[in-house]
Amino acid sequence: MSAMKDLVEYIAKALADKPQQVQVSEIEGEAALVLELRVAPEDMGRIIGKDGRTANAIRTLVRVLAAKQGKRVTLEIV
Amino acid sequence: MSREGKIFFGETVEAAIAAGLTALRLPREAVEIEVLDEGSRGILGIGARMARVRLTPLVPAGAMGAPTPTPTLIPEAPESSAAEVARTILTDLLQRLGFSAEIRVRSAEPATDEEEAPLVLDVQTPGADTLIGPRGETLAALQHILRLLVNRRMGRMVNLVVDVQGYKGRREQNLRRLAERMASQAVRSGRTVYLEPMPPYERRIIHLALRDHPDVTTQSVGEGSRRRVTIIPRVGKE
Repeated sequence: MSAMKDLVEYIAKALADKPQQVQVSEIEGEAALVLELRVAPEDMGRIIGKDGRTANAIRTLVRVLAAKQGKRVTLEIV
Repeated sequence: MSREGKIFFGETVEAAIAAGLTALRLPREAVEIEVLDEGSRGILGIGARMARVRLTPLVPAGAMGAPTPTPTLIPEAPESSAAEVARTILTDLLQRLGFSAEIRVRSAEPATDEEEAPLVLDVQTPGADTLIGPRGETLAALQHILRLLVNRRMGRMVNLVVDVQGYKGRREQNLRRLAERMASQAVRSGRTVYLEPMPPYERRIIHLALRDHPDVTTQSVGEGSRRRVTIIPRVGKE
């Protein structure tokens, strides 16, 4: 499992009420990598946070790993 | 411990279960979990209910009359203290971020107007600059996530601060000096001074530094990440 996927999964599972429904998939694009995070509908608010603060914090941390690998990464929460 | 099990509360079902497992010092496999109330966050906190679970040990402790510590105990038990929980989760996060780090945990000086002194986790690591990030952004993100995870695991709010090699302390001193310098400039010129946009924590430092300044007042203007402190000379003081 890639380091980015592992990081997102660790955080999302720890936050979710339904950790078994947390799914992270990686979609490799030409220049960028898209991480798609799926959670149970009732966990959405928790993962996104007030004003998207939690989602943005997760994105910031993912960027640390992306920079090391010289990649552009976007995190979509669906 | 009776066969009936014990009831535990938490902000969520998971938090209640975690609290129960910690209290019973048992791994998840060793208990039967019955959710009595899933709880509710309510609407805007109105009508919020704690989640309630009953945990019944599958092998009653002390069965067979032998008071031996059961082998079902998790070796690195679900730590009960907030400091240990925070250290464990921060270690997990840093490891996943690719940092080998040493973490020192201490209690901050209890501030006079705060009830609980925040727990300070100071990270020592070779990649300090990367971990701090531009304008402390990465560090702020790490702290936000850690707080959420620790609160969730503990089932209560834990006041904690993550620092990297004393960065925040140094930054605070620099901000205080900047505040004094810019206040003097505002007074000399008789004009409002606009500081660079800063995160909330840093703006707060500026406001506090100049709170009792006789010749200036401070105010934050702008929205979101563009929000900045302005230092305004008091009228009639030119």
